[in-house]
Amino acid sequence: MNDINILGIETSCDETAAAVVRNGNEVLSDIINSQIYIHQKYGGVVPEIASRQHVENIGLVVAEALRSAGVSFPDIDAVAVTNRPGLIGALLVGLSYAKALAYGLNKPFVGVNHLEGHIYANFIEHPAIKFPLICLLVSGGHTSLIYMENFQNTRLLGATRDDAAGEAFDKVSRFLGLGYPGGPAIEKVSAQGTAGLYTLPRPYLDKNNFEFSFSGLKTAAMNMYNKLNKDGSLNVCDLAAEFQEALVEVLAEKTFKAALRFSVPNVLIAGGVAANSRLREMMRLKSETLDIPLFFPSVKMCTDNAAMIAGLGYHHYKRKNFARLDLNAYPGL
Amino acid sequence: MLILALECSTAVAGVALLKDGVIIKEVFSNYKKNHSETLLPVIDRSLSECQYSLQDVSAVAVTIGPGSFTGLRIGLATAKGLCTAAARPLIAIPTLEVLAHNIAYNSFLAGTALDARKKQVYMCVYDVSGGQPSPLAPVSAVSPEIFVDNALELLHIYGKHKIMLLGDGAVTYQKLFENSFNQRMIMAPSHLLWPRAAALAELASIKFAKKEFENSDLIKPLYIRRSEAEIRLSDKECIC
Repeated sequence: MNDINILGIETSCDETAAAVVRNGNEVLSDIINSQIYIHQKYGGVVPEIASRQHVENIGLVVAEALRSAGVSFPDIDAVAVTNRPGLIGALLVGLSYAKALAYGLNKPFVGVNHLEGHIYANFIEHPAIKFPLICLLVSGGHTSLIYMENFQNTRLLGATRDDAAGEAFDKVSRFLGLGYPGGPAIEKVSAQGTAGLYTLPRPYLDKNNFEFSFSGLKTAAMNMYNKLNKDGSLNVCDLAAEFQEALVEVLAEKTFKAALRFSVPNVLIAGGVAANSRLREMMRLKSETLDIPLFFPSVKMCTDNAAMIAGLGYHHYKRKNFARLDLNAYPGL
Repeated sequence: MLILALECSTAVAGVALLKDGVIIKEVFSNYKKNHSETLLPVIDRSLSECQYSLQDVSAVAVTIGPGSFTGLRIGLATAKGLCTAAARPLIAIPTLEVLAHNIAYNSFLAGTALDARKKQVYMCVYDVSGGQPSPLAPVSAVSPEIFVDNALELLHIYGKHKIMLLGDGAVTYQKLFENSFNQRMIMAPSHLLWPRAAALAELASIKFAKKEFENSDLIKPLYIRRSEAEIRLSDKECIC
């Protein structure tokens, strides 16, 4: 069988990324131009600035992805591009470029869902994953528990009612003066603190459903910060550690509760927050206790990247699920 | 020489093909549909109706700004993708120059004004008496009142009697302009009101002859305006 090389392009938020992936799981290159340092001084991603950066960087990033993969355009079989969900202006840059590129190369192109891409990142690195499975998808924009029969048949078991986990990390981090992005910032200071010295609530909601709510936890952390700051007894590291512990504990508990309920052989974590080491550690403990194998992507593969887009794009390609020239971008699912 | 010209810096999506000095195809769509949905299908249809493919194109031309931020990026990202895939040069022309070229060889001044929202227009005034518009002021984003002041001053300096106003900004502030310019302005008729891909192709052919090409990987849109977040941040830094 011939090798299939897919060029993946991803511009849904603040990373301009391109990658070449062979046969769905052999990553030949994975180039990410992160704009984090540009957005940091604004305390979060500024959509207009992200879009401007994408249109400046896209050509160079794609060229580098090909160069570092050691391939040229004739070796590419199809172009895969993220067309949802994300910042609309940012998505449109990658989409417009990818469509024109594929059209000019006379190759098919496929539109890829960014969140499905995050889930697929697991399959690039762990070929042993077995369906059906439960996937915890946690990022700056989403916190969902998904039951997957296979790639095509999935069911959303529950999602957050308010803030996504990553969003709660960002907001609390900004409030504690720890900066952006919040996840890594809170993880870093938490390592110097101890969870449990302060007590924050664990928002389980109804124990029998799979929904989340982190807005109350966020507010509780902010209130505690104000109170401790006033009486001079605040230790930011301990507070951050307790906040992280509370959030991660709820995620881990609910995920494995779902795994037991649906008696699945495997559990996955996907999305940017899957890079959180405390979440990985707590999930791993649960996995060992319950003897349900757990998979998560390497830290690099957790953040936004184009390898996951190219990897999933390969499966669209195999099913001939090609997009038309009028494919549009959409901010939502 | 075959030039493929893409114009989507305003509400209009425009595509034109210029073959050896002749416009052989022009598509002008001014109804509300997303440029990202329409642009590439229109390019594809235009080329195939003329029995060409992208490989036959000598260069891709695009309006570089100012205009709708998103529209500019859709146009430029598309042009970059096409040029990279087909290994063809990219030619960029300022949007307002393309607009002014609608009335080439004219003794009026061309007052170009695109609606920039926030009670401003992207403006420039051109001398269009020759075959190529020549700017008499830098492109800027200003209030319609300042546009009038600038234009009247330029009319005086260059000893011209009338100015023809072009662009959707001229329509948005038509009342104000009619009152302020007195009898010295003429509104462009509707077929000359918008930047057109055919005019872009025509100007691009001049650059093509001179081999004035852009680096398609490095070029970025000419926004004129910074993003809101940058403006707020620099305001804050000034106060500090």
